Amino acid sequence: MRTPLALGVVSAAILVLPLVVPPYHATLMLPFMAYGVVLLGFNLLFGYTGLVSFGHALFIGIGAYAGAVLTTKLGVRHMELILPVAALAAALAAAPVGALCVRYVKIYFGMLTLAFGMVFYTFLLKFYRLTGGDEGMRMLRPSLFGSEWAGFNKTAYLVGPYYYFSLAVLVVATLVMWRIVGSPFGLCLKTIRDNPLKAESLGVSVPRYRWYAFMISAVYAAVGGALLAPPTGNVDPTLAYWTHSGNVVFMVLLGGFASFFGPLLGAFAFIFLQDTVMSVFPYWRLIFGAILAFIVIVAPGGLMGLFARRGPVEVSRR
Amino acid sequence: MTANLVNVLMGGVFHAAILFLVAAGLQLVFGVQKIFNLACGSFYALGAYTGISAVAYFTGHGGPPILFVVPLAAGGLAVGLVGLVVERGLLRFVYDRDETFQLLLTFALVLMLEDVIRLIWGSAPASTGGLYLAYGQARLLGATVPVYNLIVIAASLSIALGMGFLLTRTAFGRIIRAAADNREMAEALGVDMRWVYARVFTLGTMLGTLGGALVIPATAAMSEMGIELIVEAFAVVVIGGLGSMRGAFLGALVVGVLRSVAISVYPELEMLLIYLIVIAVLLWRPRGLFGAATA
Amino acid sequence: MATTRRDFLKVAGVAATVGAVGFPAVARGQAKPGVPSDPVKIGILAIRAGIAAPVGQAGLRGTEWWVERVNKAGGILGRPVQLVVEEESTPKDTVERYRKLILQDKVEVVIGGISTGVTLALGPVAEEMEVPWLSWDGTTQKGVEETMPNPKWAFRSVDNEVEAIVAGQLTPKYFKGVKTVAGIGNDYSYGHDCWETYQAVLKRYIPDVKFVLELFPKLGVTDFTSHIAAIQQAKPDLLMCSFWSGDATIIMKQAAAVGLFKSMKGVFTTAGGVHDSLKKEFTPEGLLLGYNTMYFDDPKGSPLLKQFVRDYKTKYDGYPPYECDHAYFNIESYKAAVEKAYATAGKWPSKVEVVRALEGIEVESLSGKRSWRPDHVQMCNFYQGVTTHKNSYDFVTINPIEVVSTKIAMKPAGSKLIEWINSWKI
Repeated sequence: MRTPLALGVVSAAILVLPLVVPPYHATLMLPFMAYGVVLLGFNLLFGYTGLVSFGHALFIGIGAYAGAVLTTKLGVRHMELILPVAALAAALAAAPVGALCVRYVKIYFGMLTLAFGMVFYTFLLKFYRLTGGDEGMRMLRPSLFGSEWAGFNKTAYLVGPYYYFSLAVLVVATLVMWRIVGSPFGLCLKTIRDNPLKAESLGVSVPRYRWYAFMISAVYAAVGGALLAPPTGNVDPTLAYWTHSGNVVFMVLLGGFASFFGPLLGAFAFIFLQDTVMSVFPYWRLIFGAILAFIVIVAPGGLMGLFARRGPVEVSRR
Repeated sequence: MTANLVNVLMGGVFHAAILFLVAAGLQLVFGVQKIFNLACGSFYALGAYTGISAVAYFTGHGGPPILFVVPLAAGGLAVGLVGLVVERGLLRFVYDRDETFQLLLTFALVLMLEDVIRLIWGSAPASTGGLYLAYGQARLLGATVPVYNLIVIAASLSIALGMGFLLTRTAFGRIIRAAADNREMAEALGVDMRWVYARVFTLGTMLGTLGGALVIPATAAMSEMGIELIVEAFAVVVIGGLGSMRGAFLGALVVGVLRSVAISVYPELEMLLIYLIVIAVLLWRPRGLFGAATA
Repeated sequence: MATTRRDFLKVAGVAATVGAVGFPAVARGQAKPGVPSDPVKIGILAIRAGIAAPVGQAGLRGTEWWVERVNKAGGILGRPVQLVVEEESTPKDTVERYRKLILQDKVEVVIGGISTGVTLALGPVAEEMEVPWLSWDGTTQKGVEETMPNPKWAFRSVDNEVEAIVAGQLTPKYFKGVKTVAGIGNDYSYGHDCWETYQAVLKRYIPDVKFVLELFPKLGVTDFTSHIAAIQQAKPDLLMCSFWSGDATIIMKQAAAVGLFKSMKGVFTTAGGVHDSLKKEFTPEGLLLGYNTMYFDDPKGSPLLKQFVRDYKTKYDGYPPYECDHAYFNIESYKAAVEKAYATAGKWPSKVEVVRALEGIEVESLSGKRSWRPDHVQMCNFYQGVTTHKNSYDFVTINPIEVVSTKIAMKPAGSKLIEWINSWKI
């Protein structure tokens, strides 16, 4: 874990960033913060409960489309309202999906979540009269902290009020997740990950707790998804495609799934890596694939695993 | 009308023939190594592009076009040896890891192979031109069927039979089944798993690349064709049961024919149908038709 | 850390750009008075991966050919042109690249954009960022009516239904006695819009026409045997197909394998995008084939077109598709607008002045004269014709060639598509 000093330095840096850094890089921090929220939830499922979902883009999509529907079809512009609605929509979707998926583990869980993710993608694409199909739906500029910020042009809005709003959401999300993993509930999850039989024998209902973890992670994903949409101004089905889920998994691995802050580091590293490599090298997928392979083989603990002075990361089968 | 029925069925069976090859490769690898190879679609694409290049080289150097199937199949099989490189160079490092990491490594392969293919062949669609029609057409119960399709179906069937023979009648096949059933026991009995894994993965890859090569005259090689196929192949193995060769065969038939029927009867369902079937199977009979019972 | 990264990016960006464009021979130091001497940076968004990658590639190739020629002749007002190329992928990622081009690379103009989801997302962003954006392709009805009703900075492509309109107008001329029609298109906005438009147009000419089947396989499907079986079952007099990529070749091949077009007529509104893969062996004569805005073998083609086709063949061993023309027109119109604005301003024009100069401007593109309507929509000609084997290639070409202007085939500013079609006097 990072020392409080490191945490303080990073927090200070993030706070003053929009004031010192060129606007483009400040706007890059926005997907970082959105994915940060997504990954905190995802890692509850992956790092702490041991389940890899290959369909989390489903909930990111739900969050994003919730924002789009609210701002364009229902006239709701308050981000403070959009986020809870996105969270609720995700919880409602995650309840049945999760209930079905958590009965299975490992490969089956991954495959089942992938299938559900693709069903949603297909739905978004096919029912175009409802969802806009491949063209997607607009997401209008939400009002933050009660104000429209009408005097700000889009860029100023993004690197100003929107930046700090997203940061606030990320901080709250982090604090809540910190409490969750430190609670008895979190401990149960870890036990389930390490030894499901033992957990059962201790009276912990394995499927039920996995289900809770699934729903929490879905809610986080949707909140992150809703945060992702305003900078683009448009939501489209590619947000729910399975390779988007794959990117989420990549980010978590990159940062390090075995630590609390690993996923946040992973989101940061991925965003900036993608930005740099994409501009310079047209075959950036090759680089990313190679990096992912490298992490899986050599450094499964990700970046945090390289920094931290912990023991070897538990990755073997038995 | 029987002609229509024949058309629908033949379309479905042709699609199934190709799906079977890719799924068989997947099943073989999963059965023995317990790895779900997300990159099977990428190998399929690799086989497709290589097949085109092989045919182009062949006809460009005076080879008679009527024999194009030979370089096609040869090219498809030869590039399958890439599987050996992948297995020895990448996969073997993660055999003792959690399944998740193995899956993720194959995902990394998907990303890499996509760009490798684009680097070598570019992003424009490629095809073998009109060679598809070189063998003419046949009349089957009033319907017109390209002879090439029949050749591919026959080839796929022979390979299915061949695989069946390999698995049940040869020593290697017995080893594969033993390793699939109980790896530790097989190792205890003196089987060198490294060799088995290398050969199994290579064989699995070659099935996929061959499938890609064989389908190409009837279609075209396009960017990201592999990413699209993985979903269908995945449906096939789920329906058939993970790890089962018979499952690959029947699963491919189910997916191929159902898709064909759906298109002629209720086209809107085409895409959704596959996923719904997968979800249904995973929920009510997760081991599919022939898979082993799982946790 | 930010400084060194920025510097690295700058160097890497320039290196990549130079690498991307090849090293253009630039007549340096000839900048006109009032014009800065540093290169003018033009941002390009091109698709690199996926189904539409060949289209993006064609656009990029057309642009690069233009840049080479222009830089040899001294650039724009003496300033050499420097391309900054970014990838067009998903809408979210492309918007980020767009922002980068403007905020980070500080380009004067962004040119590109092909897929409808992306262009729809880019429109409002272009308006917000106040830098002109010239789109190659990809404008749909929704884009027109909802997101960009009165664009100030965004310059849209031709309405993407125009080729369906042209095909609908030409169908009764070339195919008599058509009573039943089936349609197949990709399952996304373009496919749906084309089919809807074609139907509306055809109904005006053949009021009692029946549409017996519509199929929308998703983009990326490589096997249409089942679809063809369904079409055969429906027994239409004519099949309309709006495929524009490799799937057009595939369906043509698979249709030939069962002799589909022996029993029905065929209209391929946009398959000209892959025209040199439509080999004579499996592409029959007598089909209506659309080449969008550029037909490479136009006997009335300009020396510019002929030179381009020659150079393209030499460099890429193929024949150029229409996206090259869109790309060429866009960047050529930018240059012309800058020069026009310079004539009045006496110095390198501001972005607002460029936008004003672009409105209504007409330039010589590869396919002939093309222009920008004052409401920021492209005006050009569409080429469609009947396939023939009588040529020296191994693929089909068209003869006779119909050249239809957007003056007739595209709805006027401010009108709604279906209403406009229904208001025609036949």
